[in-house]
Amino acid sequence: MALWGMVIDLDRCTGCQACVMACKAENNVPAVGAKEAGLGRTISWMQVLVEESEERTRFLPRPCFQCDDPPCTKVCPVYATYRDPEGIVAQVYARCIGCRFCMAGCPYNAKYFNWRRYQQEAPGQNPDVSVRPKGVVEKCTFCHHRLQKARDRVRAERRELAPGDYVTACAEACPTRAITFGDLSDAGSDVAKLAKSPRAFRVGEELGTKPKVIYLSETEAHGRA
Amino acid sequence: MAVPDATLERDAALFAPIARTGRGFYLTVAVLGLAILWGAIAYWTQFNEGLGVTGLQQPVSWGFYVTNFVFFIGISHAGTLISAILRLSRAEWRRPITRMAEVITVMVLFIGAGQILVDLGRPDRLFNVIRYGRYQSPLLWDATSISAYLTASMFYLYLPLIPDIAILRDRLGKRRFLYSVLAMGWTGSAHQQKILNRAIAIMAVLVIPIAVSVHTVVSFVFSMTIQPAWHSSIFGPYFVAGAIFSGIAALIVAMAIVRRIYHLQAYLKPIHFRYLGHLLLVMTLLWFYLTFAEYLTGYYGNEPEEMKVFWSKFTGPFWPTFWAMLALNFVVPMAFLVNLRNHAVGKTVVASVAVVLGMWLERFNIVVPTLSNPRLPFPVTHYWPTWVEWGETAGSFGLFILLYVLFVKFFPIISIWEIQEGREAGLKDVEERLRTYLPDDTTPEPAHGRARVTT
Amino acid sequence: MSARPSEVDRRVRALQWAIAALAVVFIGGIVTWIAHLIRTAWRLGDVPSASIGISIVAIPVFLVLLGVIVSVFWGLLRDGGSR
Repeated sequence: MALWGMVIDLDRCTGCQACVMACKAENNVPAVGAKEAGLGRTISWMQVLVEESEERTRFLPRPCFQCDDPPCTKVCPVYATYRDPEGIVAQVYARCIGCRFCMAGCPYNAKYFNWRRYQQEAPGQNPDVSVRPKGVVEKCTFCHHRLQKARDRVRAERRELAPGDYVTACAEACPTRAITFGDLSDAGSDVAKLAKSPRAFRVGEELGTKPKVIYLSETEAHGRA
Repeated sequence: MAVPDATLERDAALFAPIARTGRGFYLTVAVLGLAILWGAIAYWTQFNEGLGVTGLQQPVSWGFYVTNFVFFIGISHAGTLISAILRLSRAEWRRPITRMAEVITVMVLFIGAGQILVDLGRPDRLFNVIRYGRYQSPLLWDATSISAYLTASMFYLYLPLIPDIAILRDRLGKRRFLYSVLAMGWTGSAHQQKILNRAIAIMAVLVIPIAVSVHTVVSFVFSMTIQPAWHSSIFGPYFVAGAIFSGIAALIVAMAIVRRIYHLQAYLKPIHFRYLGHLLLVMTLLWFYLTFAEYLTGYYGNEPEEMKVFWSKFTGPFWPTFWAMLALNFVVPMAFLVNLRNHAVGKTVVASVAVVLGMWLERFNIVVPTLSNPRLPFPVTHYWPTWVEWGETAGSFGLFILLYVLFVKFFPIISIWEIQEGREAGLKDVEERLRTYLPDDTTPEPAHGRARVTT
Repeated sequence: MSARPSEVDRRVRALQWAIAALAVVFIGGIVTWIAHLIRTAWRLGDVPSASIGISIVAIPVFLVLLGVIVSVFWGLLRDGGSR
């Protein structure tokens, strides 16, 4: 059974936000409009956070960390978010009642809410991804639809899933190849090898959420701010 | 509990609101109706357009509605807890107060539970909670606990109401069918009295742990997350203490209003306000102690995430609501409640109004500052409620008060039979009880030569 | 009081028993619901211990409430007539 994870190399990230745009296009993430954005309601499954300190400014592309002990799934009252056996924290839009408890529970602000009906079904959207109605929570799903399509394809080609068959939109789009995606349980995969790098660290590890997005940074890992 | 006519004349004031409807009633209903209308329009707008019409945003995804939810559920501890505890401790001064308190609890629970409904992004999917509920989620603990409390308080209000409904059935002359049905065939026979008294006694004991569990699980909605300033073990006791605190205050305000409007000064006397004022003072001190413990712990530990929330309340964007809360919950009550010898009613009412406002602010200060200070450098804009949230709040208060006013219109707000019981049996009971407290009478046998103590 | 219950008395009686039945159905419904949640959690393997733990407290509480209200309604309605 796979364990899907991601490694993001902060020493390569330029903050260009190609990952953000690719994610928006791939997942039908709505553009909420200037007024709503001014009110703080931008939806951005992959969001580049800017860490500013006296020493430096750093870009932190933050998808959902797909925690192995998610604080969001614990508090959902209706099984609208849950961790599937391969490590992806899924979001069931059809069942979500919009209580936003999972949003209050996530320490990384990775969950977003549809405060209004931001879009309808229209041509030009990705047909593999459902268009969310108003009043439900959504978040990064590691482009789970791509996994399903890849599985269908390899079954038709009568072979096993190989690394590279299933890649998230953000990893695919990154011009500096800062984002690596793959199966953490496959010791030979790039993502598993990078996760063991001496530059590796996880955000909020001390919270016990067991995030599966691992960051690489020379300065962080060596204890310098 | 069959009541002779002469005694009913004596308590005519308790029948007056039910027997006669004055202009004031219609005016009150009209004003409340306006507030409710504002709330209804606000909610209709929200239902159509989505929660975007509020001031909520990323990451402050909970605001007024959740504050109101915690606040109203907190007020519910007025009734049943005070009424049950005073009944169990056989405090005779409870008699004019218990029904008023019990009505607060029942009505405010509906409003409180309604706040969660208003807060949902998809209220049309409410039944998902029933079909797919997960007991790992504190919201399900809330649903279960509040259901139990609502059921228990409705029974606890209804059971002692039965003899009074029977009096109305027999004496009032109007709405006879309604009162006949609700009186459940009450005749006042010894057998029926035994059944009812036993049931009331059981409910008085049962309702206390249920009430404690309710606000504890409401606090668990926050403390079961790992957010700074929420994930604290003090939340259970803190919320229960705060609920009792705000509940007593709400009860005093209700008592004062009912007393003034329905001319019940003979029944709700300064002594009642004085005793409740003493209780309120104790709760002020308790609330302050728990608040102090919570903030000192955070400050001393100096964890960066906790301190961000701490300073945002003490000196940051939330300093107005934080310091107002401290003034209203501690300074004002202390000033007005330490000496209640004179003007007991006025002083307790001032303190209570301050506490009701202060406790609302306390809930706000718990919900919003934590969400406004995320761990990661997530962009945050300050939370400002919109007319929709103000309207919903006004409508909620309006609806609660309207339900209360309607109850007073149909049923006695002071328990007639319990007042009668107090007059007839109360004095005797208390005297006998006092006798058991005093030392036993051990008169020594007169003996020769033994010294006799002369007083 | 007349020896035979009048039409109004019969209607009052019927409504009273209806209210009693409503209380039983209401609480019975809540208990059934809690049991349903336990079963769902068990089938899905989703922290069944939480459901069981809570229902061990909640179901007895509701059953006591049911017992109290049924004993009161039963005792009152059987003893007194409708008036």
